[in-house]
Amino acid sequence: MRSSTADDVMMEIEASKPQGNGLVVGGLSPLSETLWKEKTNTEFVGDVSARLTWKDLTVMVTLGNGETQNVLEGLTGYAEPGSFTALMGPSGSGKSTLLDALSGRLAANAFLSGTILLNGRRAKLSFGTAAYVTQDDNLIGTLTVRETISYSARLRLPDKMPWTEKRALIESTIVEMGLQDCADTVIGNWHLRGISGGEKRRVSIALEILMRPRLLFLDEPTSGLDSASAFFVTQTLRGLSRDGRTVIASIHQPSSEFFAQAGFPCPTLRNPSDHFLRCINSDFDKVKATLKGSMKMRFESNDDPLEKITTAEAIRTLIDCYRRSQYCYIAKEKVEEMSKIKGTVLDSGGSQASFLMQAFTLTKRSFLNMSRDFGYYWLRLAIYIVVTICIGTIYLNVGTSYSSILARGACASFVFGFVTFMSIGGFPSFVEDMKVFQRERLNGHYGVTAFVISNTLSAMPFLILITFISGTICYFMVRLHPGFSHYLFFVLCLYASVTVVESLMMAIASIVPNFLMGIITGAGIQGIFMLVSGYFRLPNDIPKPVWRYPMTYISFHFWALQGQYQNDLKGLIFDNQTPDMPKISGEYILEYVFQIDTNRSKWVDLSVIFSMIIIYRIIFFIMIKINEDVTPWIRGYVARRRMLQKNGNQNTTVAPYGLTQSPSLRAYVMDHGSGTSKK
Amino acid sequence: MEIEVASGRGDVERGVWRNGGNDGHKGAAYLVWEDLTVVLPNFGNGPTKKLLYGLHGYAEPGRIMAIMGPSGSGKSTLLDSLAGRLSSNVVMTGNILLNGKKQRLNYGTIAYVTQEDVLLGTLTVRETISYSAHLRLPNTLTKDEKKGIIDGTIMEMGLQDCADRLIGSWHLRGISGGERKRLSIALEFLIRPRILFLDEPTSGLDSASAFFVVQALKNVARDGRTVISSIHQPSSEVFALFDDLCLLSGGEIVYFGEAKMAVKFFAEAGFPCPSRRNPSDHFLRCINSDFDVVTATLRGSQRLREADNLADPLGNLATSDIKAMLVYKYNSSEYASRTRSRIQDISTIQGLEIERIKGSQARWWTQLSTLTQRSFANMSRDVGYYWSRIGIYIIVAICVGTLFYDVGTSYTAILARGACGGFVTGFMTFMSIGGFPSFIEEMKVFTRERLNGHYGVAVFVLSNFLSSFPFLAAISVITGTITFYMVKSRTEFSHYVYYCLNIFGCIAVVESCMMIVASLVPNFLMGIIAGAGVLGIMMMTAGFFRLLPDLPKVFWRYPVSLMSYGSWSLQGGYKNDLVGVVFDGLWPGDPKLNGEDVLKNMFGLSLDHSKWWDLFALYCLFLTYRVLFFVILKLKERTTPFFRSLYAKRTIHYLKRRPSFRRKPSFPSRRHYNLHSLSSQEGLSSPIP
Repeated sequence: MRSSTADDVMMEIEASKPQGNGLVVGGLSPLSETLWKEKTNTEFVGDVSARLTWKDLTVMVTLGNGETQNVLEGLTGYAEPGSFTALMGPSGSGKSTLLDALSGRLAANAFLSGTILLNGRRAKLSFGTAAYVTQDDNLIGTLTVRETISYSARLRLPDKMPWTEKRALIESTIVEMGLQDCADTVIGNWHLRGISGGEKRRVSIALEILMRPRLLFLDEPTSGLDSASAFFVTQTLRGLSRDGRTVIASIHQPSSEFFAQAGFPCPTLRNPSDHFLRCINSDFDKVKATLKGSMKMRFESNDDPLEKITTAEAIRTLIDCYRRSQYCYIAKEKVEEMSKIKGTVLDSGGSQASFLMQAFTLTKRSFLNMSRDFGYYWLRLAIYIVVTICIGTIYLNVGTSYSSILARGACASFVFGFVTFMSIGGFPSFVEDMKVFQRERLNGHYGVTAFVISNTLSAMPFLILITFISGTICYFMVRLHPGFSHYLFFVLCLYASVTVVESLMMAIASIVPNFLMGIITGAGIQGIFMLVSGYFRLPNDIPKPVWRYPMTYISFHFWALQGQYQNDLKGLIFDNQTPDMPKISGEYILEYVFQIDTNRSKWVDLSVIFSMIIIYRIIFFIMIKINEDVTPWIRGYVARRRMLQKNGNQNTTVAPYGLTQSPSLRAYVMDHGSGTSKK
Repeated sequence: MEIEVASGRGDVERGVWRNGGNDGHKGAAYLVWEDLTVVLPNFGNGPTKKLLYGLHGYAEPGRIMAIMGPSGSGKSTLLDSLAGRLSSNVVMTGNILLNGKKQRLNYGTIAYVTQEDVLLGTLTVRETISYSAHLRLPNTLTKDEKKGIIDGTIMEMGLQDCADRLIGSWHLRGISGGERKRLSIALEFLIRPRILFLDEPTSGLDSASAFFVVQALKNVARDGRTVISSIHQPSSEVFALFDDLCLLSGGEIVYFGEAKMAVKFFAEAGFPCPSRRNPSDHFLRCINSDFDVVTATLRGSQRLREADNLADPLGNLATSDIKAMLVYKYNSSEYASRTRSRIQDISTIQGLEIERIKGSQARWWTQLSTLTQRSFANMSRDVGYYWSRIGIYIIVAICVGTLFYDVGTSYTAILARGACGGFVTGFMTFMSIGGFPSFIEEMKVFTRERLNGHYGVAVFVLSNFLSSFPFLAAISVITGTITFYMVKSRTEFSHYVYYCLNIFGCIAVVESCMMIVASLVPNFLMGIIAGAGVLGIMMMTAGFFRLLPDLPKVFWRYPVSLMSYGSWSLQGGYKNDLVGVVFDGLWPGDPKLNGEDVLKNMFGLSLDHSKWWDLFALYCLFLTYRVLFFVILKLKERTTPFFRSLYAKRTIHYLKRRPSFRRKPSFPSRRHYNLHSLSSQEGLSSPIP
């Protein structure tokens, strides 16, 4: 059922071709043409338009149990420059699959057969040549529209290009997408009110057309918008296609004559697209059946042919009719004709900026976001100040009495345990950041390395600010070991610990499926680290296997406490239980009460923590890389194996190995997401 | 067969309405509003804003009325004022007459289906409906009668196919959006209200499910009930189902009357609907002034190069002009006069009494047992509520157990025992935060049901405790057993019992604390942070990190450490652990140390009262926090309207300065601003696999 509807679904309408159709030799609008020329800084290289044709396109998906299902069956069609092609159909009919197949973003367990030709050549549509606007707008909420676009421009436009030109390109994009009015408004996030949904969608499109791609894919660009905004978006898309771009979108705006000839004329006063969907949406069958069952529906006799037959029948009629109709014939002919034209090979338009430029821009953008997002660091700063003031008053002026020995230990343990724990609060904002990264990474804006480096650099000033302020409050209220170097050690140690926790949370974020799991896992790991840090149980008493040997050395709390105890107690003299007993030296306490290895310098401990930061960052980097490259490959391999086992005895029309299979991160993400949501 | 079913349901319905009587005309509700004006007074320097301009209209039984208009036209304001749910910061004048009598329509007489569906995701459709039925239907009905009503409702809303499926939540796949919406309607329809209000029931649904929802509403209306619904962008299929139409723009009526005649009216006014266009799209296109801005912007960006669509008369006129023309035409048309005369007719229908149903007719203990059952079912099915926590507790308990395995009586064991107690009662209770999201979901359901008066606050608080009791007991017994027998600090059974009771007390108090936090903070993230902060302070003053006598007297010792569960449980736990044990000295030759001395000298505890008093104090604290939770919920109900008006004022103020293309801010009815709260689990699914 699904596969058969898909055939129909694909209705191309060349929504209003420009007058001189044959003359669209990369017919750019005057504005973008000049910009394009200036940008590439070369003479106009022939025809830069993109002609996309696909023939007998079949997409097969392997399910978990090895069953295969054809989502698309033998589709043929084309999209040409200057036209705006709409794919439509009821939900589940394969719109998005077709779009994914054309843009080369199919899931790892989907196999494609048939030919997709770009300008008459088999081309791999890599990131860049074709821009893809997804359904959800993952934008950084704290930036304004202009900032969003201009950072994106700096990330991707070549370094050589002078700033004035970049600026002109940015401004022209803003004008082109009709964003002038809201250019200086922030985009908005969960606690910040910003631009409207339609404006957001247009910003997403603007980001993709910034590099002037010849081919633009859009996944449901109007869903969730009110009529005025939807109209605006569609109008803009049509404008883009006028400039000689090839625009393919899943959208609702098909031509109506075909349905009328097939015997389902659109009734007057009904929107054609409503009518078409009504004809082919088999959900309506279910609705009708249920309503009949609930004996409420008194069917008024109606001229509508749809009332008399079920939707399933209607679909069958339509498909047969289409196969025989001249529409199908014309389409096939057109495909033949177009696939013969060998056009230019379109270059990949990924990022042309250098690595340094990317890292610099990303750092700047990320810094701006952090400084504007209240929940990212400012909230945490406030909480840290409150918590450290609490600690400060409780241990106020701790002194050198007998009871202060334990108090000093407890204070250090509490600071490094509990205060670092609060870093979890920044997790949601970080997850938001990751979403943006995911989108930009898929479109090839920058590399993983640039992201990791920029994130580290931009967070640094905030972490330093937070830890120095709270560290200072704590240090001087409690009056820990006097001396500037001791103060510096304390604050540096706090900074390192907080950064380790931050890096740990990032590594966790790249592994766990969702936000809540991330928080729980993070809390659990920190709890265990704290347990083996040597405060709750003295280091020598910790059971040797598991706990003592790998665990204490992995725990950053352990190193922080080792360092801080030495930093605090060494050189101090404490009172004994009663005044007449001899005083106790700090070294003695370190060795016998806290069981600290005094031979190792506290600075060694500190450097261990700093090296942990680097290790966790590297783990984070590797995890992202694995998710991007290895996992889809494995999934594809597993899917293929399953299919082979299942179909081992049967004759399959297509050899599984002959199928091209495109690994992509997004598909994996989506699969994974739906997989977890099913649980 | 069908007839039998129908008459069977009729009996049941008569059962529900036994007191009021339900034959013929008697239960019908005629709603009339005259000269309805809503203004938003402005105390600042701006002008007072009119949201509705003297509207007239009526709604009759057996018909379904749609209130349509572009966003910001006053749809929801009209719906709110009719339903008596206007926020307190606006002033309403004019009459709303129900069966010829002026009365405030509040909860009970009418049912109101809000835009978002707040449902417990772990229950099936049938369970949701039947729990709600037991909560609200009078006790006088027999079980069979209630079952009849439940089945009838399921049938009527076309929910037979998914009756035994789970509703689904953020981590559980369940029924579709359309089914959820129909379920929400079914819940309100359960007590057979005479008037049903719906706020945008089809937004976010695909065409087939939207059609189904409105078809179900049509069935409700056919029973002689009055249905009023605001709707944003109906498809042609859906639009054809409406009987009456009230078209608003900028707070004024553009059209009021039969939906079918609206096309004719527009044609007469000079704006005929093109044949291949959905009439509702056409109406909205005519009066939605956002299109003016769009057109202007497009012109500005040199996009609209081709000649304006000549065929379209709308292309040449600004929508504001069209709107003014339409309003004028309507006021002088026969439709307006017909409406006025109909209003006259209906207003004279006197004496039809609408029986006021109280929100719930069930007795409180029925409510309590139903709620407890429902809440228990929810907890036992939601993995995130308690099960995952039990898993985590087991893991952590094993960790603690192996780390402090067989702690013994050496000198270092003294501190180790203290640390073990501190960790178990301090950090392990911290894990209660994990159940926070599930609890917030439950709170949302409570808020909705409370608004509709389904049950009282006390019942909720009590039922929540009762249903969570088995889980909390399981957690404390499991962790208690694992740690107690692995650490082997004592051997007597009575100590074991005390140990478990102590853990149970702690967890119960923490749970209550988190509930208080959940009822105070606006969202999930703030809840977790605030909760962690509160628990951190309690841990700090528990007497583990800083001995109780050393705590600064002023703030920390006196109110805070007494209020903290940690200090009581830790004192009790230490006593339970150490009294009567003899420890080795620091060096082999030193004299043995007595447990009591250790408590006094090293932990700074006084041994004046027994450990059971500490336990008693802990349970008192638990009770106090529960009562506090109850008081806060009650207070919140009283004070929320006040805060809401403050909030609305601020929002308006902010909207005015908002430099977006919607220049005229819409009425800030709060529920339409989905400022993606994190509490709605938005962003819970991390993008990273």
